Amino acid sequence: MTVAGAGAIGPRSIGLGRTFKRNRLYFAGLTPAALLLALFFVGPALWALGSSFTNRALVGIDAANPRFVGLDNYTRLFGDPDFARVIVNSIVFVVGSAIIGQFILGLGLALLIDHAQHRGFRAANFVYAAVLLAWVDPTLIAGFLWVAMFDFYYGSLNVALGLFGLGPVNWFGQAPMLAVIIANVWRGTAFTMLIFLGALRTVPGDVYEAARVDGANAWRRFWDHTLPMLRPIVALTLLSITMSTFGTFIVIQVLTNGGPSFQTEVIALYAYHEAFQAHEVGYGSTIAVAMLALNLSFAVFYLRWSRARA
Amino acid sequence: MSDLERMAVSRRRFLQIAAATGVVVACGPATTGGGAAATGGKISGTITVSYPDEAGFKPKYVEQAAAALKAQFSGLAVTIDLQKINSDDYYTKLLLRLDGSDVPDVTHVGGNLIGELADAGYIEPLDDYVKQWDEWQYYPDSVKNGVSYKGKVWAIPYGLDMRWLYYRKDDLQKAGLPADWKPANVQGILDAAAAVKKANLPNVLPYALYAGPAGSGGTADHAFVPLLWAYGGQLQDQGGKWIGDSPATRKVMAYYAKAYGDGLSPKDILTATKPWTAMREKIGNGQLALLFEGGWVYGGWAAKDKAATQANVGYNLHPTESGGPSFTVGGPGTCWYITAKSKNKQGAWEFIKAVNTKDIVAKLNIEDPHPVARTDSANVAEFKADPYLVASTEALTKAKFTPVDAAYPKVQQAIQKATARVAAGEVSATEGAQRYTDDLKQAVGADKVTTQS
Repeated sequence: MTVAGAGAIGPRSIGLGRTFKRNRLYFAGLTPAALLLALFFVGPALWALGSSFTNRALVGIDAANPRFVGLDNYTRLFGDPDFARVIVNSIVFVVGSAIIGQFILGLGLALLIDHAQHRGFRAANFVYAAVLLAWVDPTLIAGFLWVAMFDFYYGSLNVALGLFGLGPVNWFGQAPMLAVIIANVWRGTAFTMLIFLGALRTVPGDVYEAARVDGANAWRRFWDHTLPMLRPIVALTLLSITMSTFGTFIVIQVLTNGGPSFQTEVIALYAYHEAFQAHEVGYGSTIAVAMLALNLSFAVFYLRWSRARA
Repeated sequence: MSDLERMAVSRRRFLQIAAATGVVVACGPATTGGGAAATGGKISGTITVSYPDEAGFKPKYVEQAAAALKAQFSGLAVTIDLQKINSDDYYTKLLLRLDGSDVPDVTHVGGNLIGELADAGYIEPLDDYVKQWDEWQYYPDSVKNGVSYKGKVWAIPYGLDMRWLYYRKDDLQKAGLPADWKPANVQGILDAAAAVKKANLPNVLPYALYAGPAGSGGTADHAFVPLLWAYGGQLQDQGGKWIGDSPATRKVMAYYAKAYGDGLSPKDILTATKPWTAMREKIGNGQLALLFEGGWVYGGWAAKDKAATQANVGYNLHPTESGGPSFTVGGPGTCWYITAKSKNKQGAWEFIKAVNTKDIVAKLNIEDPHPVARTDSANVAEFKADPYLVASTEALTKAKFTPVDAAYPKVQQAIQKATARVAAGEVSATEGAQRYTDDLKQAVGADKVTTQS
């Protein structure tokens, strides 16, 4: 019982020519999207892969004569103590920001708002609007907004604490990862909420009726009925937010630019810093390839999980 | 799903570089045009002059030079591409542009970048041009050496870099220190900072010691390197290998640990965007007591309020481990370059001459205070009358220079990583010095790094 088309599998044992004839409309429809993907995703990804085997640089002798260096960049990557740290940071950021923050908060908000809307509570719409506003904010603006919140001297948070006689907190010094996670959760929760609000509307009401008649409490109804029905959506949402959070760049760049030291340096920032600040495009590409490989493995994991009991 | 959009943007960016880099590979290193410096030929066409300026001192002189040029050569058009961004951002943009084919003819970046720009084949050697330029004689040999790399001259500087240990007389006095404060040694800086902290002046930071990548080039040139020299260390050994862990490196790291561990220097230097902007402003208005910074930043305060600046901002040379004010960090400053791919190099050279006349060099360096690169400009009465400029020029005799080496910008980044760990309190000073060795190996290759015990 799928709620939405979570990846249809094509027929297997039909001749190629016949497949094409049968599905030519599909192919025609898919071509523009495929071309765009090739241009903006596959092309650059292949370029990065090729570049990761070179010592290409933006400046210096390697900019004039980039050479093929085989697996040197990968050897360097796996021996790079900073990279190990960056991976740990990225995992902490994804788990904290996407899975715990955006996902659980988004799902909770969706359930509450859905419930409130069924009961006709008008106030739910304000919550809905507030969460949505954070999301429609341009990322850069959202980033600066949080800079203004966290600033040590003039930030709203410390001014507010001051009203209660509490000392100013150096947010970026003491809890930089928490600070960037909070900003990103604030910014991204709406996406999960919207998806689940939509999905909840597709759950037929009679399922709950039956459950209620059987004496199931709210928690059991959620656990036994709502969640299984949402399962494919859960997987897709987790996949989507994990991947986009894994690639987070602007929010962190604006707030801490990876600092202090390497405490909030995530993989996308590290790739950028190596390519554009250290001017080592080859090594930056290697980091980007590692990022792509990790993202692909997330995708495989989630998609398998979503189909496991389908 | 703006995160996905973000990823798309960065992918596009990579694609742009892909395209641009492809072009460069196809072209190979630019060859130096023979006989490009032929004089007497008619100069016409268009030149594009690209330069960054945040402080606002340069545009009028660039305009003036462009106007003079147009008056001299009727067929020459000058397009000015003024970028009101900081020099770091400008440099990244410039590199992406130099990779492609649409390059400016004249550009304006730090002289410390000569090595890597020349190695990349992005800039034009100027030997043929300066040979036929009478006024080149006014540039002292030390300046000529500063803009030479691999036996060739690559850039024309207008003012030289030097740095001062600035202090606020008013803040130090409130902390019980004399108005003509002079540190007895390096420790004296931390002692003065501690005194200011103890005085608990409202809204006054004791000291700013640049650390980490956010400090940019200042982390090396305005903090780590002078401290390293103060403790008797060197960046490179006799054989040109970069020195990682050493007794002096450990002392520098201990200094960092003290400055940050005791709360003398604010931790937001590690996370703020361009912390130097804030720190320069703070010392200008008395909200920061001590800062080692470029001599040129004085111009910003003087432009705002010259009398108050003279009354309240004191400056010393950098002290050493055992002695008081002794030396400064010198450099070729921001220079004018001709790009290798320029299609009008003769026009570009004429512009560089026009913007480096005795008069313009003197006036620009009075507003944007640097010791002048050409000595005859120092004879301008207005320049001689300014005690700050005279002191800055005099200080150059006590300047130690950072290496003219294509790898130095990478070393600066290793320094940023290493100082950040200690400043953030992640590692001890000893471990911080050891990790600096690793950072150097990552940056320049293990075979070019050594340690001293």
